[in-house]
Amino acid sequence: MYVYLPIAELPVQVPLFLALGCMVGFLSGLFGVGGGFLLTPLMIFLGIPPAVAVGTSAAHIVATSVSGAVTQYRRNNVDLKMGGVMLAGGAIGTVIGVEAVRLLRKAGLFDVTVSLTYVIFLGVVGTLMLIESINTWRHAQSTGGKKRKKSGQHSFIDGLPLKMRFQRSKLYMSAIPPAIIGMFVGFMAAIMGVGGGFFIIPAMIYLLRMPTAVVVGTSLFQILFVAVLATILQAVQNKSVDIILAALLITGGVVGAQIGAMSARKFKGEELRGLLAALVLMVALRVAYDLVVTPTELFNFGPLQVSK
Amino acid sequence: MRAWKFCLRLSLVIWLGIVAEQHAAKAGGAATSPLPEAIEADVSARNVSVQADFTGTEIVVFGTVENSRQPSAEAGTYDIIIVVEGTSIPHVVRRKSNLGGLWMNTASVRFASLPSYYAIASTRPIQDIAEPPILTQNQIGFEHVRMVKSGSGRTQITDAEDLAEFRDAVVRLKKRDGLYIQSDYAVAFVGRSLFRTTIKVPPNVPIGVLNAKVYLFREGMLLGEYKSEVTLARAGIERFLYDVAYRHGLLYSLGVVFFAVAAGLASAFAFRRE
Repeated sequence: MYVYLPIAELPVQVPLFLALGCMVGFLSGLFGVGGGFLLTPLMIFLGIPPAVAVGTSAAHIVATSVSGAVTQYRRNNVDLKMGGVMLAGGAIGTVIGVEAVRLLRKAGLFDVTVSLTYVIFLGVVGTLMLIESINTWRHAQSTGGKKRKKSGQHSFIDGLPLKMRFQRSKLYMSAIPPAIIGMFVGFMAAIMGVGGGFFIIPAMIYLLRMPTAVVVGTSLFQILFVAVLATILQAVQNKSVDIILAALLITGGVVGAQIGAMSARKFKGEELRGLLAALVLMVALRVAYDLVVTPTELFNFGPLQVSK
Repeated sequence: MRAWKFCLRLSLVIWLGIVAEQHAAKAGGAATSPLPEAIEADVSARNVSVQADFTGTEIVVFGTVENSRQPSAEAGTYDIIIVVEGTSIPHVVRRKSNLGGLWMNTASVRFASLPSYYAIASTRPIQDIAEPPILTQNQIGFEHVRMVKSGSGRTQITDAEDLAEFRDAVVRLKKRDGLYIQSDYAVAFVGRSLFRTTIKVPPNVPIGVLNAKVYLFREGMLLGEYKSEVTLARAGIERFLYDVAYRHGLLYSLGVVFFAVAAGLASAFAFRRE
């Protein structure tokens, strides 16, 4: 069963894209990430033009993160204050990122920058998360208890001004670190075309030391707003959001996100982080492979965006 | 026995009659100088509407050689080449090379125009039909597709050999995507003067006007050409969505966001009771 996409200008198989949306939605619900870092490359692999893939995955992220964020909010797992501070930083980061994209495109270095940021960030974040989750898991196996964090590790962060009380996260800290993290995520999101969940989750856990329970909900809350902004910008400026494709992915995605969120309760935090780390590392290795191995086709081409 | 003889005689008479007629036809042709051949052609559908169920289409191109001197459909006196070209779209072609161990795009060529789709069908391989200059002049064949290099751009290639490599890459990539199609022997005569072929239009063809050109050759000489066009146009819901996306971008984007949020909320509440 095929349906023709009005913006992408090609027909796609309906069940295939429903399944793709469902699968990415499942991972999104399970790990609390948007899933853009998986969805965009998979869509391109299935023949969707890259620009449309990037634009439309933003719409998919909106749906799955709403679905996940509402579920988390009902369980009181969203720190709205922390999310708000991060968003403020994120907005600034996105603006800087969009400008950086323009400059990189001008210099012809955009593709390689995207690949390198994928490899470096996914690689580093994935490795750190994997090591940490294995250690925690081992520790839990041997003592049967949770690893206690050492006190007094926040010496540098504790010295910063603009202190705020984040009740839901049980933290009293400066607003500067979360704002900077948000800004960085906004910047990365603009460059990589993803929500930034795979980065923001470890940053919240390891840098801000937020309780794991609150991390997933708060990151979904932040991703939701980043994705809404990205969808509007992509649709208005680049005309690269395909509403039919979005409808297919979203229909599958929201179902998958709920199944994922339910499944997440069956796993321990460190197990989930370990799985996410493995997934992130796999994507990083795949991108690295393409960057290093001699390609079979040295040429690539695409329609030239005519600026109006 | 008598019946058998009668049959033999009758067939002899018929055969002689045919021979005599052919002679007369040849003699008559030689006496008055033959009328020049011309070509007339058309496409099976002038308009193709692209709707939600569009999965590509086929266009039948048919035509006739006027004043055909061809004795039969199989004689091969004439050659036909049919070229169907899609709308021209500006393209950028990039080439990767290894820089410090990493493969990255290091060179690019911008083409202000090159056909988004190019299908060629002929009675036999085009290099057997006519000499390269004629093919070049009429932009027949993948080597002669009109590609206009754009003047702008910084990392431009000017070397002719390099440029040829980029041209070849375009053809290779377009063939891979099923948008450049060549089929020798696809045009067939169905009589002394009537010919036809079927041109495949893949589902990923960029929407716009397809220009069909039909060329008539005899012994390497271009005797005539005929043009027609097929308009691919969005219809129904496809057209509506496309128009809204391009004319009312903000409204369209808000619609997408609204749908996404509604779907997300609906599923969150639907699964609530479990």
